[in-house]
Amino acid sequence: MKYYSRLLREFFKISVRTQLIYRGTFFAGVVGQWIGYGATFATLYILVSSFDLLGGWNGSEVMVLYGLSIMSYAIGASFFFNFARNLSMRIRSGEFDASLTKPLHPFLHEVFAGGWNIGYFSHFTVSLIVIILALTQLDYHITPGRFFYLVLMVFGASLIQASALIASSTMSFFTVGSNPVLDFLVYDVKEFTNYPITVFPKGIQFILTFLLPFAFINFYPASALLGKAIPEGYPVLLPYFSPVVGVVLFALSILLWNWGLKNYKSTGS
Amino acid sequence: MKKYLITFSKSLKAELSYRSAMLAGIASALLGFVIQLFLWQALLATGIRQDTSFSDMVLYILINSFMLELTRSNVATTIETAMIDGTVSMELLRPMSYKYYLLASIFGKNFYSALTRTVPILIVGLFFLSPNSCPSPVYMGLFGISALLGVLLLFEVTYVVGLLAFWIQRCWFLSWYLRGFQTFFGGTAVPLWFYPDALNTVGYFLPFRYMTFEPVNFFLQKTPLSQAAVPLFAAALWLVGLSLLDRLMWRAAMNRLAINGG
Repeated sequence: MKYYSRLLREFFKISVRTQLIYRGTFFAGVVGQWIGYGATFATLYILVSSFDLLGGWNGSEVMVLYGLSIMSYAIGASFFFNFARNLSMRIRSGEFDASLTKPLHPFLHEVFAGGWNIGYFSHFTVSLIVIILALTQLDYHITPGRFFYLVLMVFGASLIQASALIASSTMSFFTVGSNPVLDFLVYDVKEFTNYPITVFPKGIQFILTFLLPFAFINFYPASALLGKAIPEGYPVLLPYFSPVVGVVLFALSILLWNWGLKNYKSTGS
Repeated sequence: MKKYLITFSKSLKAELSYRSAMLAGIASALLGFVIQLFLWQALLATGIRQDTSFSDMVLYILINSFMLELTRSNVATTIETAMIDGTVSMELLRPMSYKYYLLASIFGKNFYSALTRTVPILIVGLFFLSPNSCPSPVYMGLFGISALLGVLLLFEVTYVVGLLAFWIQRCWFLSWYLRGFQTFFGGTAVPLWFYPDALNTVGYFLPFRYMTFEPVNFFLQKTPLSQAAVPLFAAALWLVGLSLLDRLMWRAAMNRLAINGG
Protein backbone atom coordinates (compact mmCIF):
# COMPACT_ATOMS: atom_id res chain seq x y z
CA MET A 1 0.00 0.00 0.00
CA LYS A 2 2.81 2.32 0.99
CA TYR A 3 4.50 1.42 -2.28
CA TYR A 4 1.41 2.44 -4.26
CA SER A 5 0.92 5.74 -2.51
CA ARG A 6 4.56 6.63 -3.08
CA LEU A 7 4.28 5.73 -6.76
CA LEU A 8 1.10 7.78 -7.05
CA ARG A 9 2.80 10.78 -5.50
CA GLU A 10 5.79 10.55 -7.79
CA PHE A 11 3.71 10.11 -10.96
CA PHE A 12 1.38 12.98 -10.06
CA LYS A 13 4.24 15.27 -9.10
CA ILE A 14 5.69 14.84 -12.59
CA SER A 15 2.33 15.39 -14.26
CA VAL A 16 1.63 18.60 -12.34
CA ARG A 17 5.07 19.89 -13.30
CA THR A 18 4.51 19.18 -16.99
CA GLN A 19 1.19 20.98 -16.92
CA LEU A 20 2.73 24.05 -15.34
CA ILE A 21 5.53 24.42 -17.90
CA TYR A 22 3.51 26.95 -19.84
CA ARG A 23 2.24 28.77 -16.80
CA GLY A 24 0.73 31.73 -18.65
CA THR A 25 -1.23 29.52 -21.03
CA PHE A 26 -2.37 27.36 -18.14
CA PHE A 27 -3.88 30.25 -16.20
CA ALA A 28 -5.33 31.77 -19.36
CA GLY A 29 -7.06 28.42 -19.86
CA VAL A 30 -8.38 28.47 -16.29
CA VAL A 31 -9.86 31.92 -16.90
CA GLY A 32 -11.35 30.62 -20.15
CA GLN A 33 -13.17 27.82 -18.31
CA TRP A 34 -14.38 30.32 -15.70
CA ILE A 35 -15.89 32.49 -18.41
CA GLY A 36 -17.36 29.52 -20.29
CA TYR A 37 -18.95 27.81 -17.30
CA GLY A 38 -19.82 31.15 -15.72
CA ALA A 39 -21.82 32.03 -18.83
CA THR A 40 -23.62 28.67 -18.76
CA PHE A 41 -24.49 29.04 -15.06
CA ALA A 42 -25.66 32.62 -15.56
CA THR A 43 -27.87 31.93 -18.58
CA LEU A 44 -29.44 28.89 -16.87
CA TYR A 45 -30.17 31.02 -13.80
CA ILE A 46 -31.70 33.81 -15.92
CA LEU A 47 -33.81 31.26 -17.80
CA VAL A 48 -35.22 29.48 -14.74
CA SER A 49 -35.77 32.75 -12.88
CA SER A 50 -37.80 34.23 -15.71
CA PHE A 51 -40.15 31.23 -15.50
CA ASP A 52 -40.01 31.03 -11.65
CA LEU A 53 -39.77 27.24 -11.64
CA LEU A 54 -38.26 24.43 -13.70
CA GLY A 55 -39.81 21.06 -12.86
CA GLY A 56 -40.60 22.39 -9.38
CA TRP A 57 -37.11 23.85 -8.73
CA ASN A 58 -36.33 27.56 -8.53
CA GLY A 59 -33.29 29.29 -10.01
CA SER A 60 -31.01 28.93 -6.98
CA GLU A 61 -31.99 25.31 -6.49
CA VAL A 62 -31.14 24.54 -10.12
CA MET A 63 -27.78 26.25 -9.53
CA VAL A 64 -27.04 23.85 -6.64
CA LEU A 65 -28.10 20.96 -8.86
CA TYR A 66 -25.91 21.94 -11.81
CA GLY A 67 -23.08 22.98 -9.47
CA LEU A 68 -22.96 19.49 -7.96
CA SER A 69 -22.73 17.99 -11.44
CA ILE A 70 -19.78 20.19 -12.43
CA MET A 71 -18.02 19.83 -9.09
CA SER A 72 -18.20 16.02 -9.05
CA TYR A 73 -17.11 15.96 -12.69
CA ALA A 74 -14.11 18.14 -11.81
CA ILE A 75 -13.04 15.73 -9.07
CA GLY A 76 -13.70 12.52 -11.00
CA ALA A 77 -12.25 13.79 -14.27
CA SER A 78 -9.10 15.25 -12.71
CA PHE A 79 -8.04 11.67 -11.98
CA PHE A 80 -9.61 9.78 -14.88
CA PHE A 81 -10.06 12.11 -17.85
CA ASN A 82 -6.52 11.81 -19.23
CA PHE A 83 -6.63 8.09 -18.60
CA ALA A 84 -9.90 7.64 -20.51
CA ARG A 85 -9.18 10.12 -23.30
CA ASN A 86 -5.66 8.89 -24.07
CA LEU A 87 -6.37 5.18 -24.00
CA SER A 88 -7.45 4.95 -27.68
CA MET A 89 -4.37 6.82 -28.86
CA ARG A 90 -2.06 4.82 -26.60
CA ILE A 91 -3.51 1.57 -27.91
CA ARG A 92 -3.13 2.67 -31.52
CA SER A 93 0.44 3.87 -31.09
CA GLY A 94 1.40 0.83 -29.05
CA GLU A 95 2.38 2.86 -25.98
CA PHE A 96 -0.28 1.00 -24.05
CA ASP A 97 1.58 -2.29 -24.48
CA ALA A 98 4.37 -0.89 -22.35
CA SER A 99 1.91 -0.69 -19.47
CA LEU A 100 1.48 -4.45 -19.68
CA THR A 101 5.15 -4.97 -18.91
CA LYS A 102 5.34 -2.76 -15.82
CA PRO A 103 5.52 -4.28 -12.32
CA LEU A 104 2.10 -2.81 -11.61
CA HIS A 105 -1.45 -3.68 -12.64
CA PRO A 106 -2.05 -2.16 -16.11
CA PHE A 107 -5.15 -0.28 -14.87
CA LEU A 108 -3.18 1.40 -12.09
CA HIS A 109 -0.29 2.12 -14.40
CA GLU A 110 -2.59 3.76 -16.93
CA VAL A 111 -4.24 5.90 -14.23
CA PHE A 112 -0.89 6.88 -12.73
CA ALA A 113 0.64 7.63 -16.12
CA GLY A 114 -2.40 9.71 -17.06
CA GLY A 115 -1.50 11.91 -14.14
CA TRP A 116 -3.59 14.35 -12.23
CA ASN A 117 -5.22 16.93 -14.49
CA ILE A 118 -5.02 20.15 -12.51
CA GLY A 119 -6.92 22.01 -15.24
CA TYR A 120 -10.12 20.96 -13.47
CA PHE A 121 -9.24 23.45 -10.76
CA SER A 122 -11.30 25.93 -12.79
CA HIS A 123 -14.43 23.74 -12.90
CA PHE A 124 -14.08 23.06 -9.19
CA THR A 125 -13.73 26.69 -8.14
CA VAL A 126 -16.55 27.96 -10.34
CA SER A 127 -18.97 25.28 -9.11
CA LEU A 128 -17.93 25.84 -5.47
CA ILE A 129 -18.64 29.57 -5.76
CA VAL A 130 -21.98 28.96 -7.46
CA ILE A 131 -23.07 26.42 -4.82
CA ILE A 132 -22.10 28.76 -1.96
CA LEU A 133 -23.89 31.72 -3.57
CA ALA A 134 -27.01 29.66 -4.30
CA LEU A 135 -27.18 28.21 -0.76
CA THR A 136 -26.78 31.72 0.67
CA GLN A 137 -29.59 32.95 -1.55
CA LEU A 138 -31.76 30.09 -0.30
CA ASP A 139 -30.99 31.04 3.35
CA TYR A 140 -29.70 27.56 3.85
CA HIS A 141 -28.28 26.97 7.32
CA ILE A 142 -25.28 24.78 6.97
CA THR A 143 -24.72 22.61 10.05
CA PRO A 144 -21.74 20.27 10.57
CA GLY A 145 -24.09 17.34 9.88
CA ARG A 146 -25.30 18.82 6.60
CA PHE A 147 -21.76 19.72 5.59
CA PHE A 148 -20.65 16.14 6.20
CA TYR A 149 -23.63 14.92 4.16
CA LEU A 150 -22.69 17.23 1.30
CA VAL A 151 -19.07 16.06 1.27
CA LEU A 152 -20.19 12.43 1.30
CA MET A 153 -22.60 13.05 -1.59
CA VAL A 154 -19.95 14.84 -3.69
CA PHE A 155 -17.61 11.92 -3.04
CA GLY A 156 -20.23 9.43 -4.27
CA ALA A 157 -21.03 11.58 -7.29
CA SER A 158 -17.34 11.87 -8.23
CA LEU A 159 -17.11 8.07 -8.18
CA ILE A 160 -20.08 7.88 -10.57
CA GLN A 161 -18.44 10.42 -12.88
CA ALA A 162 -15.20 8.41 -12.74
CA SER A 163 -17.07 5.17 -13.50
CA ALA A 164 -18.62 6.73 -16.60
CA LEU A 165 -15.13 7.64 -17.84
CA ILE A 166 -13.62 4.24 -17.00
CA ALA A 167 -16.53 2.21 -18.38
CA SER A 168 -16.69 4.11 -21.65
CA SER A 169 -12.92 3.97 -22.13
CA THR A 170 -13.23 0.15 -22.21
CA MET A 171 -14.62 0.57 -25.72
CA SER A 172 -11.11 1.57 -26.87
CA PHE A 173 -9.97 -2.04 -26.52
CA PHE A 174 -12.33 -2.99 -29.32
CA THR A 175 -12.51 0.03 -31.64
CA VAL A 176 -8.78 0.94 -31.67
CA GLY A 177 -8.04 4.53 -32.55
CA SER A 178 -11.24 6.31 -31.71
CA ASN A 179 -13.92 5.98 -29.10
CA PRO A 180 -17.26 7.61 -29.93
CA VAL A 181 -18.92 6.08 -26.83
CA LEU A 182 -16.78 8.19 -24.51
CA ASP A 183 -17.93 11.55 -25.84
CA PHE A 184 -21.52 10.40 -26.16
CA LEU A 185 -21.80 9.12 -22.59
CA VAL A 186 -19.67 11.73 -20.86
CA TYR A 187 -20.90 14.84 -22.68
CA ASP A 188 -24.17 14.19 -24.48
CA VAL A 189 -26.02 11.84 -22.14
CA LYS A 190 -24.80 13.68 -19.07
CA GLU A 191 -26.55 16.81 -20.28
CA PHE A 192 -29.60 15.28 -18.58
CA THR A 193 -28.00 16.17 -15.25
CA ASN A 194 -28.16 19.91 -16.02
CA TYR A 195 -31.85 19.92 -15.16
CA PRO A 196 -34.06 18.26 -12.52
CA ILE A 197 -35.15 14.85 -13.83
CA THR A 198 -38.75 15.82 -13.00
CA VAL A 199 -38.59 17.72 -16.31
CA PHE A 200 -38.36 14.47 -18.29
CA PRO A 201 -40.96 11.75 -19.02
CA LYS A 202 -41.34 8.84 -16.58
CA GLY A 203 -39.41 6.44 -18.82
CA ILE A 204 -36.33 8.67 -18.85
CA GLN A 205 -36.57 9.17 -15.09
CA PHE A 206 -36.54 5.40 -14.69
CA ILE A 207 -33.51 5.00 -16.99
CA LEU A 208 -31.58 7.76 -15.22
CA THR A 209 -32.30 6.18 -11.83
CA PHE A 210 -31.97 2.43 -12.35
CA LEU A 211 -30.25 1.71 -15.68
CA LEU A 212 -27.81 4.57 -16.22
CA PRO A 213 -27.91 6.09 -12.74
CA PHE A 214 -26.75 9.63 -13.60
CA ALA A 215 -29.55 11.00 -11.40
CA PHE A 216 -27.46 9.92 -8.40
CA ILE A 217 -24.74 12.37 -9.43
CA ASN A 218 -26.76 15.42 -8.47
CA PHE A 219 -30.55 15.06 -8.63
CA TYR A 220 -31.00 12.73 -5.64
CA PRO A 221 -28.25 14.31 -3.50
CA ALA A 222 -29.62 17.81 -4.15
CA SER A 223 -33.25 16.82 -3.63
CA ALA A 224 -32.38 15.38 -0.20
CA LEU A 225 -30.28 18.42 0.66
CA LEU A 226 -32.97 20.91 -0.35
CA GLY A 227 -36.01 18.79 0.55
CA LYS A 228 -37.35 18.54 -3.01
CA ALA A 229 -39.80 15.87 -4.17
CA ILE A 230 -38.46 12.83 -6.01
CA PRO A 231 -40.48 11.04 -8.73
CA GLU A 232 -43.73 9.56 -7.39
CA GLY A 233 -43.61 6.00 -6.14
CA TYR A 234 -39.81 5.87 -5.75
CA PRO A 235 -38.44 4.76 -2.32
CA VAL A 236 -38.17 7.70 0.08
CA LEU A 237 -34.66 6.69 1.12
CA LEU A 238 -33.36 6.52 -2.49
CA PRO A 239 -31.65 9.95 -2.33
CA TYR A 240 -29.34 8.75 0.44
CA PHE A 241 -27.91 5.94 -1.64
CA SER A 242 -25.61 8.07 -3.83
CA PRO A 243 -22.34 7.05 -2.14
CA VAL A 244 -23.31 3.37 -2.28
CA VAL A 245 -24.24 3.68 -5.95
CA GLY A 246 -20.91 5.44 -6.52
CA VAL A 247 -18.83 2.69 -4.89
CA VAL A 248 -20.72 -0.10 -6.66
CA LEU A 249 -20.48 1.55 -10.09
CA PHE A 250 -16.81 2.30 -9.60
CA ALA A 251 -16.10 -1.36 -8.79
CA LEU A 252 -18.20 -2.53 -11.73
CA SER A 253 -16.49 -0.17 -14.15
CA ILE A 254 -13.05 -1.48 -13.14
CA LEU A 255 -14.28 -5.06 -13.59
CA LEU A 256 -15.58 -4.11 -17.03
CA TRP A 257 -12.25 -2.50 -17.92
CA ASN A 258 -10.37 -5.63 -16.87
CA TRP A 259 -12.72 -7.75 -18.93
CA GLY A 260 -11.94 -5.50 -21.90
CA LEU A 261 -8.22 -5.88 -21.22
CA LYS A 262 -8.56 -9.66 -21.21
CA ASN A 263 -10.08 -9.52 -24.70
CA TYR A 264 -7.54 -7.05 -25.98
CA LYS A 265 -5.28 -7.89 -28.89
CA SER A 266 -2.37 -5.59 -29.48
CA THR A 267 -2.14 -3.72 -32.76
CA GLY A 268 1.46 -4.84 -32.90
CA SER A 269 2.80 -1.37 -33.53
CA MET B 1 -13.49 33.02 -56.92
CA LYS B 2 -12.90 29.60 -58.50
CA LYS B 3 -9.88 28.81 -56.36
CA TYR B 4 -11.92 29.49 -53.22
CA LEU B 5 -14.65 27.17 -54.46
CA ILE B 6 -12.02 24.47 -54.95
CA THR B 7 -10.75 25.01 -51.41
CA PHE B 8 -14.32 24.75 -50.16
CA SER B 9 -15.04 21.49 -51.95
CA LYS B 10 -11.65 19.95 -51.03
CA SER B 11 -12.22 20.45 -47.33
CA LEU B 12 -15.82 19.30 -47.71
CA LYS B 13 -14.57 16.08 -49.31
CA ALA B 14 -12.03 15.54 -46.56
CA GLU B 15 -14.87 15.56 -44.05
CA LEU B 16 -16.96 13.08 -46.02
CA SER B 17 -14.49 10.30 -45.29
CA TYR B 18 -15.21 10.14 -41.55
CA ARG B 19 -18.40 8.12 -41.62
CA SER B 20 -18.40 7.03 -37.95
CA ALA B 21 -17.75 10.57 -36.78
CA MET B 22 -20.83 11.57 -38.76
CA LEU B 23 -23.00 8.96 -37.06
CA ALA B 24 -21.71 9.99 -33.63
CA GLY B 25 -22.42 13.61 -34.53
CA ILE B 26 -26.00 12.80 -35.52
CA ALA B 27 -26.63 10.85 -32.31
CA SER B 28 -25.20 13.66 -30.24
CA ALA B 29 -27.21 16.36 -32.05
CA LEU B 30 -30.45 14.39 -31.75
CA LEU B 31 -30.02 13.70 -28.05
CA GLY B 32 -29.13 17.32 -27.31
CA PHE B 33 -32.17 18.47 -29.27
CA VAL B 34 -34.54 16.11 -27.44
CA ILE B 35 -33.21 17.29 -24.06
CA GLN B 36 -33.81 20.90 -25.12
CA LEU B 37 -37.35 20.03 -26.20
CA PHE B 38 -38.16 18.54 -22.78
CA LEU B 39 -36.62 21.55 -21.07
CA TRP B 40 -38.72 24.04 -23.03
CA GLN B 41 -41.83 21.96 -22.72
CA ALA B 42 -41.48 22.02 -18.92
CA LEU B 43 -40.72 25.76 -18.86
CA LEU B 44 -43.53 26.81 -21.17
CA ALA B 45 -46.00 24.56 -19.32
CA THR B 46 -45.75 26.97 -16.38
CA GLY B 47 -47.68 29.46 -18.54
CA ILE B 48 -45.75 32.38 -17.06
CA ARG B 49 -44.39 33.68 -20.35
CA GLN B 50 -47.05 34.19 -23.00
CA ASP B 51 -44.66 35.83 -25.49
CA THR B 52 -43.04 32.57 -26.56
CA SER B 53 -44.61 29.46 -28.06
CA PHE B 54 -43.15 25.96 -28.21
CA SER B 55 -43.00 26.20 -31.99
CA ASP B 56 -40.96 29.43 -31.65
CA MET B 57 -38.43 27.68 -29.47
CA VAL B 58 -38.12 24.70 -31.82
CA LEU B 59 -37.28 27.11 -34.65
CA TYR B 60 -34.96 29.04 -32.35
CA ILE B 61 -32.96 25.91 -31.51
CA LEU B 62 -32.91 24.69 -35.13
CA ILE B 63 -31.63 27.92 -36.67
CA ASN B 64 -29.16 28.55 -33.87
CA SER B 65 -27.64 25.11 -34.08
CA PHE B 66 -27.28 25.23 -37.88
CA MET B 67 -25.53 28.61 -37.78
CA LEU B 68 -23.26 27.65 -34.91
CA GLU B 69 -22.34 24.39 -36.64
CA LEU B 70 -21.25 26.35 -39.72
CA THR B 71 -18.52 28.04 -37.68
CA ARG B 72 -17.87 25.18 -35.29
CA SER B 73 -14.31 24.19 -36.07
CA ASN B 74 -12.87 27.60 -35.62
CA VAL B 75 -10.26 29.70 -37.31
CA ALA B 76 -8.32 30.46 -34.14
CA THR B 77 -7.26 26.84 -33.61
CA THR B 78 -6.53 26.43 -37.33
CA ILE B 79 -4.16 29.41 -37.39
CA GLU B 80 -2.54 28.31 -34.13
CA THR B 81 -1.83 24.81 -35.46
CA ALA B 82 -0.51 26.21 -38.74
CA MET B 83 1.77 28.55 -36.77
CA ILE B 84 3.17 25.81 -34.57
CA ASP B 85 3.84 23.14 -37.19
CA GLY B 86 5.00 25.67 -39.77
CA THR B 87 2.40 24.85 -42.47
CA VAL B 88 1.50 28.54 -42.41
CA SER B 89 4.55 29.14 -44.60
CA MET B 90 3.04 26.88 -47.29
CA GLU B 91 -0.31 28.57 -47.00
CA LEU B 92 1.23 32.01 -47.43
CA LEU B 93 2.81 30.88 -50.71
CA ARG B 94 -0.58 30.24 -52.27
CA PRO B 95 -1.69 32.87 -54.77
CA MET B 96 -4.76 33.68 -52.72
CA SER B 97 -5.72 35.77 -49.74
CA TYR B 98 -5.08 33.91 -46.51
CA LYS B 99 -8.27 35.25 -45.00
CA TYR B 100 -10.54 34.06 -47.81
CA TYR B 101 -8.64 30.82 -48.08
CA LEU B 102 -9.44 30.20 -44.41
CA LEU B 103 -13.04 31.26 -44.92
CA ALA B 104 -13.50 28.79 -47.78
CA SER B 105 -11.80 25.91 -46.02
CA ILE B 106 -13.60 26.47 -42.70
CA PHE B 107 -17.00 26.54 -44.35
CA GLY B 108 -16.16 23.51 -46.45
CA LYS B 109 -15.15 21.68 -43.33
CA ASN B 110 -18.23 22.70 -41.36
CA PHE B 111 -20.86 22.62 -44.06
CA TYR B 112 -21.16 18.87 -44.11
CA SER B 113 -21.40 18.46 -40.34
CA ALA B 114 -23.86 21.34 -40.14
CA LEU B 115 -26.09 19.56 -42.66
CA THR B 116 -25.80 16.08 -41.19
CA ARG B 117 -26.45 17.37 -37.70
CA THR B 118 -29.29 19.70 -38.59
CA VAL B 119 -31.32 17.56 -41.01
CA PRO B 120 -32.16 14.84 -38.43
CA ILE B 121 -33.21 17.38 -35.80
CA LEU B 122 -35.14 19.27 -38.47
CA ILE B 123 -37.10 16.11 -39.24
CA VAL B 124 -37.90 15.59 -35.56
CA GLY B 125 -38.56 19.29 -35.10
CA LEU B 126 -41.10 19.43 -37.96
CA PHE B 127 -43.61 17.57 -35.79
CA PHE B 128 -43.60 20.41 -33.28
CA LEU B 129 -43.86 23.37 -35.60
CA SER B 130 -47.14 25.15 -35.91
CA PRO B 131 -48.39 25.41 -39.52
CA ASN B 132 -48.11 29.21 -39.65
CA SER B 133 -44.48 29.30 -38.56
CA CYS B 134 -43.10 30.12 -42.01
CA PRO B 135 -42.46 33.88 -42.10
CA SER B 136 -43.81 36.23 -44.74
CA PRO B 137 -41.59 36.83 -47.83
CA VAL B 138 -40.40 40.17 -46.43
CA TYR B 139 -39.27 38.63 -43.16
CA MET B 140 -37.79 35.67 -45.03
CA GLY B 141 -35.69 38.13 -47.05
CA LEU B 142 -34.64 40.03 -43.94
CA PHE B 143 -33.76 36.72 -42.30
CA GLY B 144 -31.62 35.75 -45.30
CA ILE B 145 -29.63 38.99 -45.26
CA SER B 146 -29.24 38.99 -41.53
CA ALA B 147 -28.20 35.31 -41.42
CA LEU B 148 -25.54 35.93 -44.07
CA LEU B 149 -24.21 38.93 -42.15
CA GLY B 150 -24.35 36.88 -38.95
CA VAL B 151 -22.31 33.98 -40.31
CA LEU B 152 -19.73 36.36 -41.80
CA LEU B 153 -19.55 38.21 -38.49
CA LEU B 154 -19.06 34.94 -36.63
CA PHE B 155 -16.18 34.15 -38.97
CA GLU B 156 -14.73 37.66 -38.76
CA VAL B 157 -14.61 37.67 -34.95
CA THR B 158 -12.92 34.28 -34.76
CA TYR B 159 -10.49 35.35 -37.48
CA VAL B 160 -9.44 38.50 -35.60
CA VAL B 161 -8.98 36.44 -32.45
CA GLY B 162 -7.11 33.81 -34.46
CA LEU B 163 -4.67 36.42 -35.82
CA LEU B 164 -3.53 36.97 -32.25
CA ALA B 165 -1.74 33.63 -32.63
CA PHE B 166 0.95 35.50 -34.56
CA TRP B 167 1.80 37.33 -31.34
CA ILE B 168 1.06 34.96 -28.48
CA GLN B 169 1.75 31.63 -30.27
CA ARG B 170 -0.80 29.69 -28.25
CA CYS B 171 -4.35 30.91 -28.27
CA TRP B 172 -6.66 27.88 -28.01
CA PHE B 173 -8.04 29.35 -24.79
CA LEU B 174 -9.23 32.49 -26.58
CA SER B 175 -11.91 30.48 -28.33
CA TRP B 176 -13.25 29.49 -24.90
CA TYR B 177 -13.50 33.17 -23.96
CA LEU B 178 -15.29 33.82 -27.19
CA ARG B 179 -17.72 30.95 -26.70
CA GLY B 180 -18.48 32.17 -23.18
CA PHE B 181 -19.30 35.68 -24.40
CA GLN B 182 -21.30 34.26 -27.27
CA THR B 183 -23.42 32.14 -24.92
CA PHE B 184 -23.97 35.02 -22.55
CA PHE B 185 -24.38 38.04 -24.84
CA GLY B 186 -25.29 36.28 -28.07
CA GLY B 187 -28.30 34.42 -26.71
CA THR B 188 -27.27 31.11 -28.26
CA ALA B 189 -28.62 29.09 -25.33
CA VAL B 190 -31.33 31.33 -23.92
CA PRO B 191 -33.18 33.91 -26.05
CA LEU B 192 -32.24 37.42 -25.05
CA TRP B 193 -35.88 38.46 -24.53
CA PHE B 194 -35.75 36.49 -21.26
CA TYR B 195 -32.83 38.63 -20.04
CA PRO B 196 -33.11 41.49 -17.57
CA ASP B 197 -33.37 44.78 -19.50
CA ALA B 198 -29.96 46.12 -18.46
CA LEU B 199 -28.14 43.04 -19.78
CA ASN B 200 -30.17 43.03 -22.96
CA THR B 201 -29.18 46.66 -23.58
CA VAL B 202 -25.46 45.96 -23.08
CA GLY B 203 -25.80 43.29 -25.75
CA TYR B 204 -26.70 45.88 -28.39
CA PHE B 205 -23.19 47.35 -28.15
CA LEU B 206 -21.40 44.03 -28.65
CA PRO B 207 -21.18 42.03 -31.87
CA PHE B 208 -22.52 38.77 -30.43
CA ARG B 209 -26.27 39.28 -30.65
CA TYR B 210 -26.07 40.05 -34.38
CA MET B 211 -24.59 36.64 -35.14
CA THR B 212 -27.50 34.27 -34.60
CA PHE B 213 -30.01 35.98 -32.34
CA GLU B 214 -31.14 38.77 -34.68
CA PRO B 215 -31.54 36.43 -37.69
CA VAL B 216 -33.77 34.14 -35.62
CA ASN B 217 -35.73 37.17 -34.46
CA PHE B 218 -36.47 38.03 -38.09
CA PHE B 219 -37.52 34.47 -38.81
CA LEU B 220 -39.94 34.53 -35.87
CA GLN B 221 -41.18 37.97 -37.03
CA LYS B 222 -40.43 39.40 -33.60
CA THR B 223 -38.58 42.48 -34.87
CA PRO B 224 -41.03 45.20 -36.01
CA LEU B 225 -40.43 46.17 -39.65
CA SER B 226 -39.92 49.81 -38.65
CA GLN B 227 -36.83 48.76 -36.65
CA ALA B 228 -35.54 46.15 -39.07
CA ALA B 229 -32.69 48.37 -40.27
CA VAL B 230 -31.08 48.63 -36.82
CA PRO B 231 -29.72 45.08 -36.41
CA LEU B 232 -28.77 44.87 -40.10
CA PHE B 233 -26.91 48.15 -39.95
CA ALA B 234 -25.18 47.24 -36.69
CA ALA B 235 -24.04 43.89 -38.09
CA ALA B 236 -22.68 45.56 -41.24
CA LEU B 237 -20.90 48.18 -39.15
CA TRP B 238 -19.22 45.52 -37.03
CA LEU B 239 -18.20 43.65 -40.18
CA VAL B 240 -16.59 46.72 -41.73
CA GLY B 241 -14.87 47.73 -38.49
CA LEU B 242 -13.48 44.27 -37.85
CA SER B 243 -12.24 43.82 -41.42
CA LEU B 244 -10.34 47.09 -41.15
CA LEU B 245 -8.89 45.85 -37.87
CA ASP B 246 -7.89 42.48 -39.31
CA ARG B 247 -6.15 44.19 -42.23
CA LEU B 248 -4.06 46.25 -39.83
CA MET B 249 -3.29 43.20 -37.75
CA TRP B 250 -2.37 41.20 -40.84
CA ARG B 251 0.12 43.81 -41.98
CA ALA B 252 1.70 43.97 -38.55
CA ALA B 253 1.81 40.19 -38.34
CA MET B 254 3.55 39.82 -41.71
CA ASN B 255 6.22 42.25 -40.59
CA ARG B 256 7.17 40.22 -37.56
CA LEU B 257 6.53 36.70 -38.79
CA ALA B 258 9.47 34.34 -38.56
CA ILE B 259 8.93 30.70 -39.38
CA ASN B 260 11.09 28.15 -37.64
CA GLY B 261 11.84 25.58 -40.30
CA GLY B 262 8.43 23.92 -40.52
